[in-house]
Amino acid sequence: MRKKLVAACLLACMVFTTTACGSGSDSKAASKSGSDGTGSALFTGELEENVTIQVLENDTAISEGYFQELIDAFNEEYKDKGIQAVDANMDQYLDLANDGPYGYGPDVLYQANDVIMKYAEGKHILPLPVEDLDCYDQIPESAWQAYQTEVDGKTYTCGVPVNVQAPMLYYRKDLLPDDWESTWDKDSDGVPDMTENWSSMYEYSVARHSEDSSKYGYMKSLNDMYFASGFLFSYGGYIFGDNNTDASDIGFAAGEAEKGANVLSQLASAMNEDCIDDTITTNAYSKLADGTYFATISTPDVYSTFLAELEKEYVSEGLSEDDAAAKAKENLVMTSLPQLPESGDLTDGSTEMIDSKSMGGVNGYAISSYTKAPNACLEFVKFATSYEMTKLRAETLGVAPAREDAAEEVGGVSKEIYQNLDNGNIILMPSITEVSQIWTPGQTFFIDLAKDVYRPESEKKYTSLESMKAGLEDMCNQINEAITTLQ
Amino acid sequence: MKNRITYKKSAGNLLDTGITYIILLVVAFIFFFPCLWLILASLSKSGSMYSFDGFFPQSYSLDTFKKLFQDTTMYNYPKWFLNTLFVATGSCILGTFLTILTAYTMSRFQFKARKPMMKATMVLGMFPSFMGMTAVYLLMTQFGLINHLWGLILIYAAGAPMGYLTQKGFFDTIPKAIDEAAKIDGATNFQIFTKINLPLAKPMIVYTALTSFTWPWSDFILPKLLLKEKNLYTVAVGLMSLDETEFARFAAGSVFIALPIVILYFCLVKNMVDSVSAGAVKG
Repeated sequence: MRKKLVAACLLACMVFTTTACGSGSDSKAASKSGSDGTGSALFTGELEENVTIQVLENDTAISEGYFQELIDAFNEEYKDKGIQAVDANMDQYLDLANDGPYGYGPDVLYQANDVIMKYAEGKHILPLPVEDLDCYDQIPESAWQAYQTEVDGKTYTCGVPVNVQAPMLYYRKDLLPDDWESTWDKDSDGVPDMTENWSSMYEYSVARHSEDSSKYGYMKSLNDMYFASGFLFSYGGYIFGDNNTDASDIGFAAGEAEKGANVLSQLASAMNEDCIDDTITTNAYSKLADGTYFATISTPDVYSTFLAELEKEYVSEGLSEDDAAAKAKENLVMTSLPQLPESGDLTDGSTEMIDSKSMGGVNGYAISSYTKAPNACLEFVKFATSYEMTKLRAETLGVAPAREDAAEEVGGVSKEIYQNLDNGNIILMPSITEVSQIWTPGQTFFIDLAKDVYRPESEKKYTSLESMKAGLEDMCNQINEAITTLQ
Repeated sequence: MKNRITYKKSAGNLLDTGITYIILLVVAFIFFFPCLWLILASLSKSGSMYSFDGFFPQSYSLDTFKKLFQDTTMYNYPKWFLNTLFVATGSCILGTFLTILTAYTMSRFQFKARKPMMKATMVLGMFPSFMGMTAVYLLMTQFGLINHLWGLILIYAAGAPMGYLTQKGFFDTIPKAIDEAAKIDGATNFQIFTKINLPLAKPMIVYTALTSFTWPWSDFILPKLLLKEKNLYTVAVGLMSLDETEFARFAAGSVFIALPIVILYFCLVKNMVDSVSAGAVKG
C-alpha cells in the first residue's frame, strides 16, 4: 500500500513538473510571437492605465531642475491616460540587480552605457523596440552599439542614448597671459595655442609654475584610467579588438601607444605629486576657481559644478551674485581636447599634430525588467528622448546630446562632441562585462607612470619609449589574467 | 632633616601631578583635535577643504549650516535628522524594555532552559552582527519592511536583548532578600519587578537607554541595506551619499548629528556614574 502511495506521489510530481514545463514553453512561444522587432514581447503597445512609473535620473538633472520640467511635461501630456512619472528618489548609483527582483528598483533608469549593459547581461533590463522611436535615425550607429548585446545571433538594444560623455578641456580665460594674443597665438586664429595643442599647454604649464611656484598650468590626476587612456588611443591603442567586442585582444599597448604614455609623463612633470592620486580630480573645482590651476579635463556634466565654484570665488572677491554669474560664464571655457604632436614628444617643437582621442560613454534611458508597466515606461522614454526634451536637457545642463538634430541646434561644444563621436575620436566604453577588469591594472600602470616622474633619476623605470611599451604590455597581461581568472 | 623630607615629598608629588596632567592633556588633545578640525571645517566660508590655510579654514561663516537646513532639493538633511531621531527613539524605548525584561528574567527566575539560553546568547553574541545581513535583507523583503523605518526599529530592538549580561549583572547585585520580604508581604512577581527592582535599577535603565539610542543613531550598514528611498535615509547614510564637492555640508552634518548625543550624555552622565558606583559598593 505504502509503495503504491509513493508511486502515486511520484507520478503526481512528474505530471505537475511536465505540465509546468509545458506551459512555460508555450508562454515563451506566445511571447516571442508577439514581437516582430528586437524589443521585448512585453511592449505590446497597449498602455497600462492609472500607473505611476518611478524614474531614476542623475543628480545634476535633478539639482538643475531639468528633471522636474521633464516629469511635469510628461505628466501633463499623459494625464488623460492616467500615467504619472515620479522621481524614484533613490541614490543615482543604484543596485538594480539586488533591489529590482524584490520590487524596490526604479521602472526607468538613466545610467551610463556600461552600467546599463552590466544589468542587461543579468537580464535586469528589457530589450527595447528602438526602431519605433523617433530618435532612432538621429542617433549615430556607434551610440546605439554601446547599448547592443547579441543573444543567439540576434542583436538586442537595451537602452536609448541621450547624451555623450567625453573628456573636455576646462580652462579660465581670465588666467591667460595679458599678451597671449601676441605670444601664445602663433597661428593668429584668436584661440590660445595652449588650448589647441598639448605641446603649447605643456610649455605654458612650465612657464606659469616657474613664474609662481604656487600656480600651475594643466592639472589632472593621472590615476584615472577613463581620462588617461585617451592619450594611448590617440597613438593607436584600443581597449578590445573587433570593435570592442573581443576581450581576448587587449590593445592598450597596440600601435604607438607608448607615445601617449610619454606625453602623460611629460605633462605630469609640469604638475606636482598630487597627480599620482585622486587629489587633483577632487580639488580641481576649487583650485581652478581660485586660480591655482589654469586648466584641467573633465566631463561636460560637471560644467555646472565648475561654474558654481567660480561664481562663489568671484562673490568672495566682492562682486554681486549677478555679476559673478555673468563673469564666471564668460571666463570658464569648456572646449574639445587639444591636439597631440605626432612625434609623441611635447618638447621637440614639432608642428605635425594629430587629433586627440578619448574614452567616452553614452548615458541613456533603460527600462527595468521588473516594471509592472513596460508600455507606459516606453512612452516615457519616447517622450524624454524627443527632440524638444533632448534640446532642453542640453541647454539646461550643458551636456552634449546624442541626437544629431539637437546637437546641431544647440551648437558649440555639444556639436563638437557629437562630431567627435561621429568621426571616431570618442572611443565608447565597451558594453561587455570584461570591461570591468581594465580599471585596476590600468590605474596601477598610470600611478606608476606618474610616480616615476618624481623618483630620483637612478630609480626611474620609464626612461625610454621601450620601457613604456613594456609597462603597457605588462598592464595588458594583467588585464588578460584578470579576465581569464574570473571567467 | 624633616623639612628636607617634606620638601622632597611635595616636590615629588608636584612632579607626579605635573607629568600626569601633561600626559592627560596630550591624550585629550590627540582625541579632541579631529573633532576641533571638523567643527572648524564645518564653519569654513569657502566650503572646500582645499582652500584651507594649512590645517584650518581661512575664513569662517555659518553659511554651511544654513545651507544644510535650507537647501534640501538634493540633500534633505532635516528629514534625515528626523528619520534618525525616530529610529533611535523607537529602538531606545523598545530595546530598553526588552533588554531589562530579559536581564531581570535571567537574574531572578530559575527555569530549565535558563543556562542553555544564557550560553546560546553568549555564543551568538560572539558573531559579528553584519554576518547575517543578507538573511536580514531577505527576511525584510518577505515581510515587506524594506523602505520602512519601523523595519529598522524592529531589528535594533530585537537584537538589543542579546547584550543583556551587563543588566543581569546589575540585577544580581540587588539582594534577593528584598524580593522575598515583599513576597511574604503578599506582593506578586509583577509588583516586585515594578515597585521594587525597577526603581532600584534606574541607573542601569538610563545606561541601557543611552546605549540603545546611540547605536541606531550612528549605524550605517543596516539603514544602507534596508532604506532605498533618499527621503527615508538616516543621517549616516545621507552623509555618505553626498557628492565629493560637498565637504563643508558633510562636516556641518557630522557636527550637528553629534549634538543630541552630547546633550543626552551630559544630562544622563550623573545616572551612569551612579550606576557604576552603586554596582561597585554592592559588589
